Amino acid sequence: MKTKAYLAAGLAATSVLALSACGGSSSGAAESSDTNTGELAIYAWAGEIPDSVIDGFEKETGIKVTVDTFDSNETMISKLAAGNSGYDIVEPSQYAVQLMVQRNLLEKIDQTKLEGFDNLATKFVNPSFDEGNQYSIPWAWGTTGILYNEDCTGGEITGWSDMWDSKYKGKMYMLDNMLSAYIAGLQVQGLSATTTSEADISKATDKLLEQKDLLAGYNSDNYADLVGSGDACIAEAYSGTTSAKAVAANDKVHYIIPEEGGTLWTDSFSIAAGTDNTSGAYQWLNYTLRPEVAALLTDDASLASTNTAAMEKVKDQTLVDNPAIYAPEEDLKKSEFIVDPGDALTYYQDGWTRVSAS
Amino acid sequence: MDTVMDRVVSWFARLVFVFLYIPIIAVVVYSFNASEVSYRFTGLTTRWYGELFHDERLLETLRTSAIVGLLAGLAATAIGFLTAFALVRYRVRGRAFFLGAILIPLIVPEIVLGVSLLTIFSTAGIPNGLLTMVLGHIVITLPLATLVPMGAMAALDPSLSEAATDLGATGWITFRRVLFPLLRPSILAAFLLSFTTSFSNIVISTFTSGVGTTTLPLRIYSTLKTGLTPELNALGTLLVLFTLLVIALVGVQQMRRILASTN
Repeated sequence: MKTKAYLAAGLAATSVLALSACGGSSSGAAESSDTNTGELAIYAWAGEIPDSVIDGFEKETGIKVTVDTFDSNETMISKLAAGNSGYDIVEPSQYAVQLMVQRNLLEKIDQTKLEGFDNLATKFVNPSFDEGNQYSIPWAWGTTGILYNEDCTGGEITGWSDMWDSKYKGKMYMLDNMLSAYIAGLQVQGLSATTTSEADISKATDKLLEQKDLLAGYNSDNYADLVGSGDACIAEAYSGTTSAKAVAANDKVHYIIPEEGGTLWTDSFSIAAGTDNTSGAYQWLNYTLRPEVAALLTDDASLASTNTAAMEKVKDQTLVDNPAIYAPEEDLKKSEFIVDPGDALTYYQDGWTRVSAS
Repeated sequence: MDTVMDRVVSWFARLVFVFLYIPIIAVVVYSFNASEVSYRFTGLTTRWYGELFHDERLLETLRTSAIVGLLAGLAATAIGFLTAFALVRYRVRGRAFFLGAILIPLIVPEIVLGVSLLTIFSTAGIPNGLLTMVLGHIVITLPLATLVPMGAMAALDPSLSEAATDLGATGWITFRRVLFPLLRPSILAAFLLSFTTSFSNIVISTFTSGVGTTTLPLRIYSTLKTGLTPELNALGTLLVLFTLLVIALVGVQQMRRILASTN
């Protein structure tokens, strides 16, 4: 009788371990930051590096890859800024590249060691956030646009201005992200989405305040489900996996780049400062620059690859034609990257506080 | 009049109960949904369970969570028990201060603890990993692991140990043969509570995880950007099943104890 309590606890413990025992072999390197050259530690967005890419790289190079995931650029930056992170490759978004360069968290990339860099689409070569790609090699990209359900809106939606139409009151969601929300607030008035002008930002704040009454809420998690089911008519949305699924599952759901402009995001591979596996890091960069490897990002993760040569290697070509993954080139003419607003960040933050509190 | 009121209250209680369990039921139902989008139910499938068992990287996060939970839970339970024992048994100086201090981690926002742990570990040159995560989780589970056995100890009849002493038992034998068996359920409760708290923690894990130590909640949380997969529903269902199993085992054990004492 006495042992029963222990038994229960012990059983609880062992069955958790047993349940997950088939889960793999590694995590032995966990305690040590000085990985030997046989290991590569990657810190990336969840879902942006398909298993097929990691497995292929491990098989070919014999390097053991550990991938950890983060929920935001800010989390990733704070972990690296504390030092001793132990990561060799990180995957910051475009504005995060700028912030990390300012803080010396990234290693300069030696272009002469790269193979296949010319496979990249021109918009990712020498981008506004990292001139000469000195610190980053874009890997995945997408847009911030509008997801809508035709059954619910009763017609076509063309731009941000529809998201200020009282017809859709209580049926619209905006992304729960400051800079993403400001894209709409700025572009709907013909202003640049990357402005640093206090007056422009203040105009956008007023516009967002005006919009708030019409919204069902700010939502970055399940907006695609809400639009897909018709519970919401319109949502500001990121292209890629979730939006692509919603579009594929329901032909009344569309993803568009707003006519007032459009913006791009890209998540790049960078070498973390202080890495002790530089050669492994370059092997990773070169491996992921190969068209057939980059194509796996589209096939296995429903995300757009920055690699032009990869487009024809994508097995399921309907994914290349899906505007919720690859935005049509003509819609991207006015599109720009959302970059670090620098000192103007405080204007955004103050405005966003007012919007959130109203 | 009383009966009408009773009926209203009892129905209300049932509604609350249903409301509490709707999310869990939804997770189980959707884990068998053939469609990838959660708002549409297109048929039954066990596909997601198959994918789950082949998703080594997801299972590895589960393993990390289990290991961290076990280590932190065991450590917190041991330290918490000793702390509780000292605080209840001995009138040490600064007792009130110490008692207050041990509860502070319950009140301080986790994000503050997380950031300061990150700073401390990096200043001390300890690389983030299993060790730092276990230490971080001990910080947040220790208050619970101390409070639970403390309550049980306070409820113990002091004459029990006096009687043992009268019968010639030494302090150690009294502890081992009288006090410890009586406190065992509370120790088990403290461990389970610590384990669960550690297993579901996101904030502290965010700041103390390192290479190769992504936990399950961290993985799920970071998946929000590109969208959750039905695979996670399958995993959630298995975890619910597992929890029910633990409750059943502990419950059966407690029932036996009660039945034995009535005979």
